[in-house]
Amino acid sequence: MKNIFKPFGVISKQTFAIMIVLQVAVTLVLWQTTSTGLIPKPANVAAAFGKLITTKLLLDNMVVSLVLTLKAMLYSIIITLFFAYASVIPFFKSIARFIVKCRYLTLTGLIFIFTLLTKDGSELKLSLLVFGIVPFFTTSFLAVIINIDKQEYELCKTLGYNNWQTLYEVIIVGKADQVFEILRQNFAISWLMITMVEGLSMSEGGIGSLLIKYNKYNDITNVVALQLVIFIIGLCFDFLLGTTRHWLFPHSKLKQIES
Amino acid sequence: MTDCIKTNTLLEAKNIQLSYADKVILRDINFCIKDIVRPGMQQGQVVSLIGRSGIGKTQLFKILSGLQKPGAGAVTIQNNKVVQPGDMGVIFQNYYLFEWRTVYQSLSLAAKQNQLLKGKEKEVIEKYAADFQLQDELQKYPQQLSGGQRQRVSIIQQLLKGSDFLLLDEPFSGLDVCVLDKVTELLLQVSVSDELKTLIIVSHDISTSVAISDTVLIMGNETGKPGATVKKEIDLIERDLAWKKDIKKEKTFIETVEEIKACL
Repeated sequence: MKNIFKPFGVISKQTFAIMIVLQVAVTLVLWQTTSTGLIPKPANVAAAFGKLITTKLLLDNMVVSLVLTLKAMLYSIIITLFFAYASVIPFFKSIARFIVKCRYLTLTGLIFIFTLLTKDGSELKLSLLVFGIVPFFTTSFLAVIINIDKQEYELCKTLGYNNWQTLYEVIIVGKADQVFEILRQNFAISWLMITMVEGLSMSEGGIGSLLIKYNKYNDITNVVALQLVIFIIGLCFDFLLGTTRHWLFPHSKLKQIES
Repeated sequence: MTDCIKTNTLLEAKNIQLSYADKVILRDINFCIKDIVRPGMQQGQVVSLIGRSGIGKTQLFKILSGLQKPGAGAVTIQNNKVVQPGDMGVIFQNYYLFEWRTVYQSLSLAAKQNQLLKGKEKEVIEKYAADFQLQDELQKYPQQLSGGQRQRVSIIQQLLKGSDFLLLDEPFSGLDVCVLDKVTELLLQVSVSDELKTLIIVSHDISTSVAISDTVLIMGNETGKPGATVKKEIDLIERDLAWKKDIKKEKTFIETVEEIKACL
């Protein structure tokens, strides 16, 4: 019990589970007792959540958002991998570094330019999302490349590999599992951005436009319930990507157990 | 003295220098490794490079392996060819392996680099795995292996690559007594696997290295001169200390070890 409050304290899985249940219970009690006025109580949110997940409205909007997110992530990872792999070639290094710095550009400031460059709302949302996600993906993947152990390159050299073979073995094959980890870690960013870009073109729907609609009518209970849905879907993706990584790359699981 | 002759030069280090900024690390390193021919048997060469920690052994190790270019001088192998990365089999101190490859995959990658093994990679890998008692570990990942098993996989990997030279950085470091005996036995086994097989062991474990070597190179500093150099070369064949079992108990061996210690 003392270990719960001790730095680097080790606790059993059972204790950990009990601790989480208690923390959630305390949070719910505090929420129930302190929420007044416009802030909905947990029981109301739970009721709204139960109602929301059975509606076609949520399903339709969720499908729109998920398709858009997955499309954006697919394009983003292709662009990221190209520039990240190419970053070991001096000509592309500067481009990769510039992409990393693009994290500081706000999407809002670029909407007009993207509107001129794209055909319709759907393309606009997709391009904005890709533009928003790529710098974060590239930052994460370049960090992986920079932190590669020098010995991995040296082992390739001792085996007589040329530079292209080394790139293939150490970065493309050796860090393939990290692509999934980056997807997993950055899925939250994509999920965060989708609610923003969907507000730009509401005609096609999506959870972003649904949130804006609920907010507009001060339907806070449904806003929180929808947030809960978004949160659960995020957790499911997190789990799915983590499991896929371990299934495709068994050594990643061993590494996790070791650490 | 054991009946043998030294013939062709297999490796030569000529005037190796290495400096970082103004600091001289290595200076005037010169030595030569010749093919030792023993009638009636295949006898490879085992050379120990001994020196105190921090003297520059690892830097020289990297220069010998071609992973680092010296500031001046050159390391040449057969036909006066300047050593390039990949010419030497290199076994690093922590037995580094590709963590994302199974043992079999790692060995297969090394075997594919060897043109002489084309088409019979699987067969050769299985033979080595059996010889080195790793049959049951072929489908495992490096994280699932013990330190000793990793070392053996590293050695096989470099042997499969087909280089005549095998450079080992501190191969006895951190091994318990039982494993130490197995490793020395393994290295001796490798050294007699081919006439041209040459093992260069960089170590600060004097006794163990000397016991399996035919030549000892002692690295150290000379008074008034910056940087480390090869201060002394001891021919253990001349002293009748090479290729003998239980050599560690002999008086001349103990005296030689003391002599080396005094030189460091």
